[in-house]
This record gives sequence, structure tokens and C-alpha cells, in this order.
Amino acid sequence: MDYNFQFNVVWRNFDALLEGAWLTLQLGVFAFTCGCLIGLVGAACLSFAPRPVRWLVHAFVIFITNTPALIQIYFLYFGLPEFGIRWSNEACVLIGLTLNAGAYLTMILRAGFLSVRQTEMEAGETMGMSLPQRIRYIVVPHIAKSIYPALANFFIVILVMGTSVGAVIGVDELTGQAINLSTVNYRWLEYFTIVALMYVVLTFIASIGLALLGRWAFRVKARIF
Amino acid sequence: MPHLAVNDIHANYGALAVLHGIGFEVDRGEVVSLVGPSGSGKSTVLRALVGLTLVTGGSVEVDGTRIDYAAPRAVKAARDRMAIVFQQYNLFQNMNVLRNVTLAPTKVKGRKRAEVEAEAMELLKLVGMEHKAQAYPDELSGGQQQRVAIARALALKPEILLLDEVTSALDPELVNEVLDAIRRLAGEGMTMLLVSHEMSFVREVSSKVVFMDAGRVVEAGPPDAIFDAPSSERARDFFGKVLR
Repeated sequence: MDYNFQFNVVWRNFDALLEGAWLTLQLGVFAFTCGCLIGLVGAACLSFAPRPVRWLVHAFVIFITNTPALIQIYFLYFGLPEFGIRWSNEACVLIGLTLNAGAYLTMILRAGFLSVRQTEMEAGETMGMSLPQRIRYIVVPHIAKSIYPALANFFIVILVMGTSVGAVIGVDELTGQAINLSTVNYRWLEYFTIVALMYVVLTFIASIGLALLGRWAFRVKARIF
Repeated sequence: MPHLAVNDIHANYGALAVLHGIGFEVDRGEVVSLVGPSGSGKSTVLRALVGLTLVTGGSVEVDGTRIDYAAPRAVKAARDRMAIVFQQYNLFQNMNVLRNVTLAPTKVKGRKRAEVEAEAMELLKLVGMEHKAQAYPDELSGGQQQRVAIARALALKPEILLLDEVTSALDPELVNEVLDAIRRLAGEGMTMLLVSHEMSFVREVSSKVVFMDAGRVVEAGPPDAIFDAPSSERARDFFGKVLR
């Protein structure tokens, strides 16, 4: 291979890549956090709501998890304007990713709802706790602890695979920035080598952050290394 | 007027009828025990009283006021007056001992945390668990967990404490520490309704024993009469097997 790597091109525009990485992190954290809230409501509905509501939640989950995130975001970005709803490309990615994460997290969190010990729920009930209180004080800490690894893995999926879809509709997150920059001087290989490493660093930082959060907030004894 | 009057209550699990008309009374400060073979419906009576199993017939009265178990507000009121301790302790695994005891008083009754914590420490002292206030349930033995569960129930300041086979899941050598805690409560005049297989303990603390079989009360009376001279064939047979 006689390709001549010229990384100095990348370093000259490294600030732009850092900005992209920052946006990627923001998109990932926002979509995951809001997705968790949607997932929590969805999973709670699947366990406690009357049948018509459960059907609606199932329909939402089936629809979202069986279509590609890219198509969903296309629909928001190119489809909604036909109905007079015009959102910025960043808003479309954010909303699309959030709904997507919400559907997957509904099913991930459902496992947590199903594994909660019914006896603890009964004890809470006889002590006068309302259903929202029992969810808040018994189910959520149980979920956080028992399926924390699954949640952390899913965050990484959103952070890396989810956010990069934004590049397709011109959002300047990390992948988008790399495409923008490399189309200027055709140093694709250099840019994407560096960007790949930046994703690794990003997920590494995120993993450590999640492990520390789990240890501090939920007594999860996750190993960082 | 009795403190708690249970009149001819019926209850089902799905299509299966488990209580066919249970009746007894508990006076204030009294300890009443429900005894009988497994499957006779003793635990179901306690579950029905706190609204975990639906009462389908008959009535329950506390201080002469009938509890309508179909009305959520009435069930809540019943739970304000009666607290239950379960066979399997059912502590909240994700909280330490102190938090287990203070959760409901602070979140359900809206009381101040500092005040509730001081009370909780007193209750933990009563059951001999104050040194484990910061421990989590999975770090405790069964007997210790059960004593915490008793303190947790007492923190709600119930008028009547329901104890559902609270020593049945314990190793034999841990039984006494729990029984001692209950003995102390009885000494303080706590009204209690207990389901138990610890016959000598039942005899010692109870003022009345209700013998149940197959969802019915077979006979009831003072412990000595029930244990030593049961009038029914079924009770004679049962006590003949368990008392020796």
C-alpha cells in the first residue's frame, strides 16, 4: 500500500471535529434521557394500564422497532413539511432518536418491571403507597440495579449508531463533520481513522461516567475495567 | 364494642372459594391467634383485612365502623389502622434498614424526615436492630430482616398489628429473637392478630385462639380450653398431631 497518510490536514480542522463530538454527546445524552422517560411510562403502561392502552404501547413499539431509524428521521424531515410541520434537521434527529430509543427502552425496562418482586409491591401497597409511589420507590431502583448493564449498553448504541444517522440530513455531529471536512480535501481515510478513534474515546468516557453514576446512585457494582 | 369485628367474611382466589364465612372479634389490647392446618385460610383472612384479597361477602368492622373494601378510600383508611408483617419479610431490597422503616411515614403520611427517623431508631431499638440501621436487607439474617419488618409496620402507628406466620421462614435458632420482639409488643398492650404454627408461643401470648379448617372457624376460645380440651373432632386430631 503506497497511500501517503497526511494527518496534518486533520489536525488543522480538529476543532471542528471536537465540536462535532460535543454535539454527538449532547444528542446521545438527550435522546437516551428522554427515551428512558418514554420507556418508563411505556413499560409502566404495559404492566398496569388497561388493555386498550397496552395495545397502543405495543403498536408504538412494534412500529418503531421494525422500521429503520433512518427512515423514521427521513419521515420527520421530508414527510412532515408536507403537512405544514417544519422542524430543523437537528430537531428531527433529536425527536426521531428519542422516539426510537423510547420504543427500545420500553421493552428493556419492561424486563425490569416483570422481574420486580411482587411481594415488595404488596408490602408497599399495604403501607398505603400509591401506584406511582411504588413505581418510584420500588420498581425504578430495582430496574436501575438489575438491568443497569443493558441500559448502559443501549446508551452506547444510541451514542454511536443512533446519532451518526444525523449526518444524512446534514446535522454536523461527529460523523457529519467528518463528511463535511473530507469532501473538501478528499482525505477520507485520515479523517475517518481519527473519527473512529474519537468515537472510541467518547464511548470510553461515557462508560466510565455510567459506571460511576450506577455505583453512586444505585449501588451497582459495575466493573469499569 | 370489639375493636375489630370480623363477621362471616367470604373470599375467593379466582374461581376457588377459600373463606366460607369467617367470624371472630378482637378487643383492644388483646392478642388473638389464628391456628389450623395449611390451606385453612388463616393467611387469607389477614390479606383480606388489609385489602390484598377481595372480601366477597360478610363484613369487617373497626370500632363499629364497617369497612367497604370496594371503595379505595375505605381500603386506605383500613390500611391506616392495620399493618401487616409477612412471612417472607418483604423488605425493600434497594433501601437500607432505616429507609425501609421511614419510607411510608414520610412519603405516605407526609411527616418530617428528622422526626420520623428519631422514631424509627426507637422502634429499631425495640426490636434490637438499631445497630443495623444502615445495613441493607441482603446483609441481614432472616430473623434480623423479620425484626426490621416488624419495626417498619409499627412505624405506621397501626392500631392493630397483623402477623402472618412471621417465624415460618426462619431457621429454628432465629425464631426466638422474633418471638421476643412480639412478646415485648404484647407486654406494651399492642393489639395483635397473629397467624402462627408456634403453638407454645400462641398459648403463651394469646388471650383467644381461633381454630380454622378449610375456610371455616371450627372453634374459638381461650388458649387453654382450645389446646387442652378441644370440643371438635377436627381440632382434637390437629392438636394431637402438632402438640407433642
